[in-house]
Amino acid sequence: MTATRPGTPISPTSADDSRPARRRSRGQGTRRHSVTRRVPPVIWLLLAVPVVIELAWVFWPAFNSFQLSFTRWHGVGAAEPVGLKNYQTLAGDPIFLTALQNNVYWILGFGGLSVIVGFALALALNKPRPGVGIYRSAIYLPMVFSLAVTGLFWRVMYQPDGPVNAMLAAIGIDTAEHQWLADPNTALAAILVAAIWRQTGYIMVLYLAGLKGCDPSLEEAAEVDGAGWWQRLRYIVIPQLRNVNTVIFAVTVIDSLRTFDIVWAMTRGGPYNSTQLLSTYMYQVGFTQVNLGYGSAIAVVIFLLAIGFIITYLARATREEN
Amino acid sequence: MTPSIIESAFTRRSLLIGGAALGGATLLSGCIGGSPAATTSAGGASSGATAQLTLQSSLSDPKPKAALEAVVKGYTTNPTTLNTVAIEQFRAQLPTYLTSSTPPDVLTWYAGSVARDYASKGLLLDVSDMWSGDGACAKFSPALKSLSSDDSGKQIFVPTNYYWWSIFYRKSAFTEWGVTPPSDWAGFMALLDTLKGKGIHPLTNGTGSTAWMASGWFDYLDLRINGAVFHRELLAGKHSFDSAEVRKVMDTYATLIPYFDPKGRSYGWQEAATPLINKKAGMYLIGAFVTQAFPAGDVEDVDFFSVPTIDAAIPSAEEAPTDGYFASAGTKNAAATKDLLGFLAGAPQQQKFIELSESSNLPTSSEVDSSKFSPLVQKGIKLLSETKEITQFFNRDSSDALQATADAALTKFLDHPGDVAKILKDWQAAAQQVWNG
Repeated sequence: MTATRPGTPISPTSADDSRPARRRSRGQGTRRHSVTRRVPPVIWLLLAVPVVIELAWVFWPAFNSFQLSFTRWHGVGAAEPVGLKNYQTLAGDPIFLTALQNNVYWILGFGGLSVIVGFALALALNKPRPGVGIYRSAIYLPMVFSLAVTGLFWRVMYQPDGPVNAMLAAIGIDTAEHQWLADPNTALAAILVAAIWRQTGYIMVLYLAGLKGCDPSLEEAAEVDGAGWWQRLRYIVIPQLRNVNTVIFAVTVIDSLRTFDIVWAMTRGGPYNSTQLLSTYMYQVGFTQVNLGYGSAIAVVIFLLAIGFIITYLARATREEN
Repeated sequence: MTPSIIESAFTRRSLLIGGAALGGATLLSGCIGGSPAATTSAGGASSGATAQLTLQSSLSDPKPKAALEAVVKGYTTNPTTLNTVAIEQFRAQLPTYLTSSTPPDVLTWYAGSVARDYASKGLLLDVSDMWSGDGACAKFSPALKSLSSDDSGKQIFVPTNYYWWSIFYRKSAFTEWGVTPPSDWAGFMALLDTLKGKGIHPLTNGTGSTAWMASGWFDYLDLRINGAVFHRELLAGKHSFDSAEVRKVMDTYATLIPYFDPKGRSYGWQEAATPLINKKAGMYLIGAFVTQAFPAGDVEDVDFFSVPTIDAAIPSAEEAPTDGYFASAGTKNAAATKDLLGFLAGAPQQQKFIELSESSNLPTSSEVDSSKFSPLVQKGIKLLSETKEITQFFNRDSSDALQATADAALTKFLDHPGDVAKILKDWQAAAQQVWNG
């Protein structure tokens, strides 16, 4: 395979390069020697299997994708090396710049809103009371649909004479049969609503699990000391959720950078490329137009963004823990 | 079943070896994008012997898929495997299929620029002998022959059916509204006004999820205003989209915009047929495949007329996208492959395919008994046989990459016709990027 699934960031090769170098450095030699003697060769052989599989099926394709981004290749014949030309073209490509900008909105909107709404729902539904299970399941339910199905479902909802306009009319808002997905001013926001509708349930479940791990006696003690609801939330509960937050941050950044199916199902990046995300643009360039060199360059940008975000955040999170 | 301990140990060991071998093989096979390994073509020698053939098909819609399955079942000379792949995936994988060391022998695809592009890279089997003497395609029309030829004049494509684009309407609706199909452009514009006056959307189009539908009117207006020769050259990069000729096309297109059902901006082509079926919209410029969207009982009520002439000095032209098959140059058995191609091109098979797929497609073989076809299809055959020039469609006459630039430019133009100058300038810049590769 040439590139990975649309939207899936490519795995790193640089991290892989650094590791053996460190292991080979002096001082570690004796320890490594004793380890090799202690561990029977069969174990090494068994360990080699996943390494070989990982190398062959993850790192090698990823490396190829990096390599392809420096070429001009339409899938036939030999790839023609063009150096940094693909990246230079990207810098002046109006669709790429729109996609980059949309991705920023998307990370903020999708990440921010789904976390805020998901956390609020988790707080509301955390305390056991009759019927809470029904609410939790109902809110989690959209998560069982694939994003593509969600997209098709919401495309019908947003039709000019569809349920969304009908509902707005019923509560007295005349939208004049607004075409949510055909208007570049509302299309991305309309997709965002559909994506959040699906994602909040997931975030809620993660936070519910995190809240279960919080020590209730701390909160009770704070209450006895006269702390209000907001103070308890801010200074007692949220600090205890740090580990969950790390997971949610990583999941959300990766999910928002690889968002593809819902946009493709709802607008295909249109009207006139106004809802194009990096992932949909990469798919269009790489797979519809079979311009694999240029598509790989976009994939590399997606990868660098994802890895940049996550390394920065993880580094900060571990520093705080220490 | 419970495998013995020895057996399972053996399995584990072979898995280990297999895994290592796999990894090694992947590493050794060289990087993606390298020169393809030399493919050995041993075709032609074993014409008598049977050969295992593979037919890779992109016809994944239920009815055409079932129709092709039924046709292939009738082929008994060589055992043939039919693989059907969804069209999006097929398009992306096509270069991989053709460059593989064991390529599929026969593949479904379109005639025109894409096939020519692959032929120029030596990936398609030369089927010129099928087009001469008593070959299976020898009696096909000269227009089809030139469409199936590569740049050096060899034939590399076997067309089996095609369809036409026109303005479709419901006869009963036109009777209800007391209107008749126009015979010239002025009459067409008057008809648009009449229908609009009756509170009907004169035109429908699905430029939402199928933005390429916007190219239908662009193609036809260019064919009527500038002619087929200019149109082909424009799509090949010999003229600018930011030119006076294209500007004239857009100015005419702009006069049509007020007559479109505005909801079409949210529709795909299928959804846009609904107002036409419900008599809320009058006419629809689309391919004959639109009849699939009609309920079975209403298909007989469908009729069409060609986009009226705008400039009498321009030769008549119609869009007729042509489907069919090409074969991979790397096939292991060229003779058997050509035998399969000949079978698929045969009149009985063409007829069977068209009937079973319930499409309004036209056969490429004149030997197909067309008397059983519906009056609509017979009218389509007449339209195409009388026209001077035939084009395909925007993407088939250029490339999918150029189609993407047209989608963005034309849908933006439909929303903001006043920005036409900037839109054409941006379109030309984007198209130039595609042509530069």
